[in-house]
Amino acid sequence: MAQLVLFDAFNGLVVGAFYALMALGLSLILNLSGVINFAHGGFLAVAAYLAYTLIPRLGFWGGLVVAPLLTAGLGLLVERFLIRRLYGRDPLYSLLLTFGLAYVFEDGTRVLWGAQALPYPVPPSLSTPVSATLFFLTGYRVFMVLLVAAAVTALFLVLARTRLGIRIRAGTQDLETVSVLGINVRVLRNLNFGLGVYLAGLAGVLAAGMLGLEPTIGSSLIMPSFVAIIVGGLGSLPGTLLGGLLIGVASGVTTVFFPSATEAVIYVMMAAVLLVRPHGLLGDAARIR
Amino acid sequence: MSRLERHAPAFVASALLVTMPWWLQAAGGYTELASRIVILGLAAMGLNFLLGFTGVLSFGHAAYFGLGGYGVAMTLRYLVPSSAVAILVGVLAGTVAAAIIGALIVKLRGVYFAMVTIAFGQVFYFVAFRWNRVTGGDDGLTGWARLPVGVGPLTLDLRGSDLAFYYFVLALLGLSAAAMGLLLRSPFGRTLLAIRENERRARFLGIPVERHIWLSFVVSALFASLAGALFALLNNFIDPRALRWDQSGNFVIMAVLGGMRSFWGPLVGAGVFVLLQDLISTRTQSWMSFVGAFFVLVVLFFPRGVLGFVRRRPAS
Amino acid sequence: MTSLLAVDNVTQRFGKLVAVNGLSMLVAPGELRAVIGPNGAGKTTFFNLVSGLIAPTSGRIYFDGRDVTALTPEQRVGLGIARTFQITEIFPELTVGENLRIAVEVTSGQRLRLWRSRRRDGEVRVRVDELLGLVGLQPRADRLVGELSHGDQRATEILMALALEPRLLLLDEPTAGMSDQETYGIAELIRRIHRDQRLTILLVEHDMRVIAHLADRITVLAEGATLAEGTFGEICCDDRVQTAYLGAAR
Repeated sequence: MAQLVLFDAFNGLVVGAFYALMALGLSLILNLSGVINFAHGGFLAVAAYLAYTLIPRLGFWGGLVVAPLLTAGLGLLVERFLIRRLYGRDPLYSLLLTFGLAYVFEDGTRVLWGAQALPYPVPPSLSTPVSATLFFLTGYRVFMVLLVAAAVTALFLVLARTRLGIRIRAGTQDLETVSVLGINVRVLRNLNFGLGVYLAGLAGVLAAGMLGLEPTIGSSLIMPSFVAIIVGGLGSLPGTLLGGLLIGVASGVTTVFFPSATEAVIYVMMAAVLLVRPHGLLGDAARIR
Repeated sequence: MSRLERHAPAFVASALLVTMPWWLQAAGGYTELASRIVILGLAAMGLNFLLGFTGVLSFGHAAYFGLGGYGVAMTLRYLVPSSAVAILVGVLAGTVAAAIIGALIVKLRGVYFAMVTIAFGQVFYFVAFRWNRVTGGDDGLTGWARLPVGVGPLTLDLRGSDLAFYYFVLALLGLSAAAMGLLLRSPFGRTLLAIRENERRARFLGIPVERHIWLSFVVSALFASLAGALFALLNNFIDPRALRWDQSGNFVIMAVLGGMRSFWGPLVGAGVFVLLQDLISTRTQSWMSFVGAFFVLVVLFFPRGVLGFVRRRPAS
Repeated sequence: MTSLLAVDNVTQRFGKLVAVNGLSMLVAPGELRAVIGPNGAGKTTFFNLVSGLIAPTSGRIYFDGRDVTALTPEQRVGLGIARTFQITEIFPELTVGENLRIAVEVTSGQRLRLWRSRRRDGEVRVRVDELLGLVGLQPRADRLVGELSHGDQRATEILMALALEPRLLLLDEPTAGMSDQETYGIAELIRRIHRDQRLTILLVEHDMRVIAHLADRITVLAEGATLAEGTFGEICCDDRVQTAYLGAAR
């Protein structure tokens, strides 16, 4: 029994890592530009499908590197030509726009790659369990957790040490002051959006290997990332990370005891947080509005 | 504004709606399409009570729409062979859910509020999806159909006649519109307007903002769930898609397309949306991409909507 | 004589920033008290605390003997505290008449009323006309407030606050950004309502002419606390006040 719980908890941790990665991207965009990128799931799916197509030519590692970058490029274009026009307006419009994009991405991937689930090629070197006793630690799962940990660490380093990162953080606090200081806010938003989408793309490529690849992969992963942000805290990146991991593990452990409640449990957590602490565990109370 | 001016839009709307089955058919449509326009229009108008008139961003109204539908389906399938009771159950389900969820989220605003409404919308989707034995899961719930409504000689044969069903639905739209209109023109309605126009000033006039937003949320969900109940009756079917995020998005685009600041706008938006969707889906499988592209175009180029170009008259 | 407003050792911290630091103040009923001080002295934070927009980190606030520290802004409006804001908060896309109508309806307990009654509508209209008459805004009653001059917008905001039938009126820099003529108009309005309705008024102002004209007493704030208090004559000659505004005396 304990083995089973551990297995599912670890699984939950892995899934939580995806949620966190994706939610971090979403959070970056939300905090700086005030835009809920509902198309985030769509970008995730696009990256996964792109990787699927590129792997025969570039190999697994090639796909892993190139697909998220291409998707980020797409994100830069979307921000530049579509979303940028809506910044001054009621947030309703940017949300509607990203909703529309989500429709296009979901249907588009269905048209281009078919509605059936596709087998995602994982290199055999990663498929074997790492140890006989801890059989649930397959190479791929461990690899994913490590990669996500590396990506998240890299993100926080970028935010803490690089010029871009510092400007993003400053802009999150007070965009007006940042622009007054002579920083090109348009470029900042654009790059920030691209960074956020990159994280989604990376999450997509990794998730496809574990969860399988089908057109609804995006919309099924975007909701948990919303919940991760709400639970972890509005405006807080560490909170979002924590939120993602928490709901992933909670979901994993619930599978053992109440399998049909696996998805619902994250919403129960969300409801509980809203009741007790509306701005989330590590969130900034002023951000509620 | 003279009485004639004030009531003219209602007259025009009524005239068009009462005769819709005929002019729609002449244009190549069919009665069922007319019913769908009226039903989705009711949902969009319900949403707009909250979105356009109170200024609150709710992107999860499919939850209440869908609950209305499942309430009807499950009542007719498992409980009582009565359309009227089924509708009542559906409306109750949606409204109570909204009352609970509304209370949880009323302290949030703007994009965060929207996020939470979307997230809660998904809860019901998952429940409908997972709970196969009761809800039919992804395949939806069948094995039931709408039944005639009424008593003795006053029975309306909803089952046999598409036209009868249309007028039934239209009558309910009429009652709902009258109720919403009454609410919006009342002092209570003006507090909602105040909240939309300047929430801080509304609060500092002594308006209990959170409570009024909650009330507006519940009222709008009531009409959305009524629409959902009728939607289930229209199709003699309900499935989780009625609860999905894209259904919520559709309602918002209908409201925006028709004109958020106008009372009848969402109905007009629903009409355009339903007709477009019908047209596109007969030509191609990937109508969802077109709908999505449509969203993008409306937002970028047509945000005030069809009726938004009508010059605003002071609220009387 | 009991004070209408008693602020008792109130401190407001935003993280490490101390905006208000152990501030105490007593305001008598019917008094017109001006609150002045250099920028950053905590005047607007003080108003936010009294009106309920924020809750103090420590200390208590009493209105007419009642502890209101934990009450929401809406509740305080119900008790009789009304305010205007530094940046005018009105309903810019509604007409002047509609703005006032909402304020009057809320005050007469019609917040939740779902049906209209001709009689009540009539009463509301009478009251709105009364208020408009105070500043002669009737001819512009059907104009959108957002299209009016700055002075008229401010006047509308003050009228809305008056519509609430307050016992304490908080005015945050009502003449900021106004021409001399507009300033005079607003100052006159304030003087009239103070005199005719015996309203207790707290006034944050930078314009010394207005203060000299209107204030019974003046409280000077600096660095979040009360620096000095007294009549105009006493304050302007006070060394500490001069130092706070102008820096160390030469």
